[in-house]
Amino acid sequence: MGERLNANTSGDFMMLLRSRGLWREGETIPAEPVQASLREAHGTTVIALKYREGVLNVGDRRATSANAIMYDRAEKILPLDDYTLIAIAGSYARAMEIVRYLQHSFKYYARTQLQEMSLEGKLAEVSRALASNLSMALQGIGMFIPVVSAYDLDRGEGRIFFYDGLGARFESVEFGAAGSGSERIRGVFDYIIKTRGPFHEMTLEEALRESLLLLDIAADLDSATAGIEKVLPIARAVTAEGIQEITEEQLAEIKKSLKL
Amino acid sequence: MVYTPYDFNESVRHRTEYIEERLRDGSPVAGISYDGGVLLLTLRRTQRKIFEIYDRLMFAGLGNQSDLEIIRVGAIDFAHQEGYARSPDDVTIQRVVGFAISPGVKRAFGDVLNAPFVVRALFAEMGRKPEDDLFYTLNYDGEFVSLNWAAAVAGTPEAEEQMVRQLVPEDASGVPDLHTAIRRALRAWAVGRLWAIDAHLEEEGAESLSEERIETFLREQMEELQVEAAILDRFTKRERKFRLLKDEEIQLALSASAGA
Repeated sequence: MGERLNANTSGDFMMLLRSRGLWREGETIPAEPVQASLREAHGTTVIALKYREGVLNVGDRRATSANAIMYDRAEKILPLDDYTLIAIAGSYARAMEIVRYLQHSFKYYARTQLQEMSLEGKLAEVSRALASNLSMALQGIGMFIPVVSAYDLDRGEGRIFFYDGLGARFESVEFGAAGSGSERIRGVFDYIIKTRGPFHEMTLEEALRESLLLLDIAADLDSATAGIEKVLPIARAVTAEGIQEITEEQLAEIKKSLKL
Repeated sequence: MVYTPYDFNESVRHRTEYIEERLRDGSPVAGISYDGGVLLLTLRRTQRKIFEIYDRLMFAGLGNQSDLEIIRVGAIDFAHQEGYARSPDDVTIQRVVGFAISPGVKRAFGDVLNAPFVVRALFAEMGRKPEDDLFYTLNYDGEFVSLNWAAAVAGTPEAEEQMVRQLVPEDASGVPDLHTAIRRALRAWAVGRLWAIDAHLEEEGAESLSEERIETFLREQMEELQVEAAILDRFTKRERKFRLLKDEEIQLALSASAGA
């Protein structure tokens, strides 16, 4: 253990994994673009909305592989830590691995450095993880897009960040969305804001209502999105008090009140 | 000159004496299971002493600060690497202490050309129920012992024994609550410290240590030093189960002791 003096002292989890040969990079990259026969599972529509207490994330539960429905209980909204949520669309395998990486990376930093990683640091870490995925994405597999929602304790407000596949990060004022269904409902977000007012002034109940409607519309327009009819979506919120799980009962109650 | 088995024994004896002399004056650490989690408690001057290792693992020790730091970072590295590559359920106290840490400590102790670790460390793992909680104490020679319900590290092995007696009193029934656990841990700390620094106690036996002496000593020490206590919380919904207790929480436990 004497070699520890030269060890990883910056709390960088990726560096630790690389030094132990555990960071999967390059080893699985095929030389040729991947044939259509490799049908990886994809997650579809996820939505992030600001509301009064923070940010609400809602996602349908369908995972598809080409035109087959693989799974109807997929979880695409996951906590990264007590104040950060990630919503993912795209390659399920890579997304899950990177989520696991990010969860460990934040905890590893906090535990070794005895201070929390800053929000800015966490967002940069997401970019870095996405960038490391590039070579696979270029082969046509493993591409996914995250939406990160965080409660910023310094500013006392919820914040939403969306990314492109390369790791570019953009902050969104009111909402964020990713996945095949999200593109088709883009205009609906603006319609809601213009007719009902901004999302960040809504109560949790109002925001949940709008998000279920949005998912329902997405499902009508996009075959890869399951919507809310058969299986209730997954919903989590992040507030000053941390991550809040939205129960099935809450969702069922709101679904009942909708005119679908 | 020939290096003989006699020289080896002699050098081990010297090392042991040297290490034990330096450990004798260290501030003990008490560990105890309670209904809502696991508690580690010690008194300190300025340096923090109790650290989170992983989701259900924490650690504290006495001895050389930088040796403790090497063990701390070694344990965190191993835990996170395993938690990421396999699953958080595969990160267990027996793997961390038994396989990742103990062999290195043993090696350093046996290697007469290198400095040994001057430490006694206490690891605690929280289970789903108090009876599943586990404590491991790790000695400077790499030896480790696993215990249920309570454990302690102190300046001498006798002091540790006396502390465990205080932590799990014969007349106690059931699993303690947090307040009781804090009070027992503080008392155990005082007893452990007194046993390590007062050589007469060993000759005269436990009976010679009066209630009054323990209480006066603890009061004096609490004025001079700072109580540091941390828990792993069994029932929290937060991702991070580890939390340092606030001064008010410790004071509350002490004021609740009137009569108890």
